[in-house]
Parts: sequence; C-alpha cells; structure tokens
Amino acid sequence: MPDHDPFQSLWTQQTAEPFTMSMSEIHSRASRFRSTIRTRNLTEYAAAALVLGVFGWMAWLIPQPVVKAGAIFIMLGTAYVVHALHRRGGTGKSLPDGMHPLADYHRGELVKQRDALASIWRWYLLPFVPGMLVFVGGVSFAPETGLPLVARLIQFGTAAGFAIAVFAGVYWLNMRGAKQLDAEIAALDEARRG
Amino acid sequence: MTQTSDQDERYREAAGSFGPALQRLARASEADPDRRRDLLQDMHVALWQSMSGFDGRCSLSTWVWRVAHNTAASHVDRERRRNTGKMALDDIAHLPDGRSVAAAHEQSDAIDRLNAWIRRLKLPDRQVMTLYLESLPAAEIAEITGLSPGAVATRISRLKAQLSKDFQEQTHA
Repeated sequence: MPDHDPFQSLWTQQTAEPFTMSMSEIHSRASRFRSTIRTRNLTEYAAAALVLGVFGWMAWLIPQPVVKAGAIFIMLGTAYVVHALHRRGGTGKSLPDGMHPLADYHRGELVKQRDALASIWRWYLLPFVPGMLVFVGGVSFAPETGLPLVARLIQFGTAAGFAIAVFAGVYWLNMRGAKQLDAEIAALDEARRG
Repeated sequence: MTQTSDQDERYREAAGSFGPALQRLARASEADPDRRRDLLQDMHVALWQSMSGFDGRCSLSTWVWRVAHNTAASHVDRERRRNTGKMALDDIAHLPDGRSVAAAHEQSDAIDRLNAWIRRLKLPDRQVMTLYLESLPAAEIAEITGLSPGAVATRISRLKAQLSKDFQEQTHA
C-alpha cells in the first residue's frame, strides 16, 4: 500500500463534529435499550394473554363441545408459540461484540434471521391451524343454526379458506425474506473466499 | 475496582483513542445528521457494553473496529430495510462527479463526496475501504473483517482504482 494515498489524507482531514457523551448518558442509553427489549417482550406476552383470555372466555361460555374444543386448541397453540418465542429469546439482533470478525458476526445475524423466517410456519403458524379448523368447523356445523348442509359447507369453506389464505400469505412473505437472506449469505461467503 | 468502573475505564481509553475515527465511520455510514448522531451514540453505547467482555485476546484497536463496524452495519441494514427502493436526496446531490483528487482537496464538499461514494458500496467493500482509509495495514483489516489477507489486498486495489476513476473520469470527459 502506498504511504501517501491522497484519499487517506482527505479522509483523515475530516473535521470532528462537537460530540460528547458522559458516562451517565451512556449508562442511561444502555438501560433504555434493555428496557425497550423488555417492553417488546412484554407486549408479545400481553398479546398472548389477550388471546388466551378471549378464547378461555369462549371455551367457558359456549356450550357447543366442538367450538369449546376449538377454543382450547387455539389456547394450546398460543401457549406453544409463547414457549417457542421464549426459548428462542426473541428474534432481535445480538449486541455487537469485538470477539468475532465482522464477516462472522454478520453471517451469524443473517443465518439467525433466515432460520427464524424459514421456520416460522412450523412454530408460529402451524400451532394455530388445528384449533382454527375445529373452531370454525364447530361454529359452521352447530346444529342450532338450522342451515342446510350446503350452506354450512360454504360457510366453513369461506372462513377456513380466508384463514388459510392469510396463513399462506404470511408463509410466502417469510419464505421470500428467507430466500433474500440466503442470497446475502451466499454473497458474503463468496466475498470471504476472495 | 468494581466491574462497572473497570468497564468505564476501558471504554474511556477506547473512546479517547478512537473517538474521531468513530465519527468518520458514522459519517461514511449515515448521511442524515440526526440519524448519524444517533448512530454515533449507539456506537459509543455498544463500545461501553462490549468492554465488559474485552479480555485482551485481540488488540484494543481490532476490538473497537469490530464493535463499531458491527453497530454501523446493523444501522445501515435497518435503514436499508426501512427505505427499500429510496435513495436519500443528499446522496444523490453528493455523488462523486469526477473531479481530480487535487481539485477535490480544494472543494469544501470533497469529503462529503468521498463519504457518499463509500455509502454506495456493499457491506464488505464499505468496511474494507473505511479501514483502509484509516491507514490500517492489510493484515489488521483481514483480522478485523475475517476476509483473507489476499482478498483484502485485491479489494483495496479494486476499490482504489474505482474511486480514482469516479473522481477523475468527468474531468477528462
């Protein structure tokens, strides 16, 4: 490398902007960061508690055994998703450290995001499917409605089809994201090989 | 001495030695002054947090560069996902226009042009280029980035040629 690259001189001639950060500001910003993560986790748990509460109330109130079973399955699915979220420790980024080379850290983050997106159907969508189908089936085929069978089938097909379309959309978006991350990982690996 | 005060002390040492370099990295990573200030603060906080794990297995310089670049990369990634398809107006206004390096030195916006050029690079190139501009040897750049020394040397050579071309070609045109 030449000793006097003009771009290196230009670079180091940059004037430093006034910047100070006291130790107490650093401590308080770090603590705000931790508190943001805690709030995000609490929001996820609160949303799960709401779902559990609503479907628990339905399971208690609705006499129809199939609908009741559907509500209980949805509650079980929610509990599983909360457990999976807790076990994964969220999908947020790790704190940057100086232990690992940049390419290793970046690759690790990309792989973590890719795996979370690629497996989301298994731990975030699938657990809700049985409960959703039983619940919608229970509502559609409840004897009290007095509807003809065809109307019940249409009602069930429409509700289940809508839910499946939403799930399929979420799945497709996540798999597309995972594929983009795969391409970024491959590009990074290529760069490392030089 | 408690762990926190050790951590504070190590941070002060690192911030004292690398403060201006962190500012240069923030400028090469973020064009918007407010978001740049946020990024710089994030770098300092990340550096302080990381100091609880600094065990001297690598040099302080390598450690600081890794933490700072990882923080900058996360910031750029977040901003890129937020602004997919958009390009900041100041980036468009400050694309290199091909002035010669000597002339660029005389221009008050030469540094902005250089920073805008760096911001357009993809991640590994941006990291290698900013470390090169800080005059780090190729071997240390390789240790920081995890690329092979050969790959670093090749990249630097290619990036320098491209940078010179972008600053000069319009002058000749």
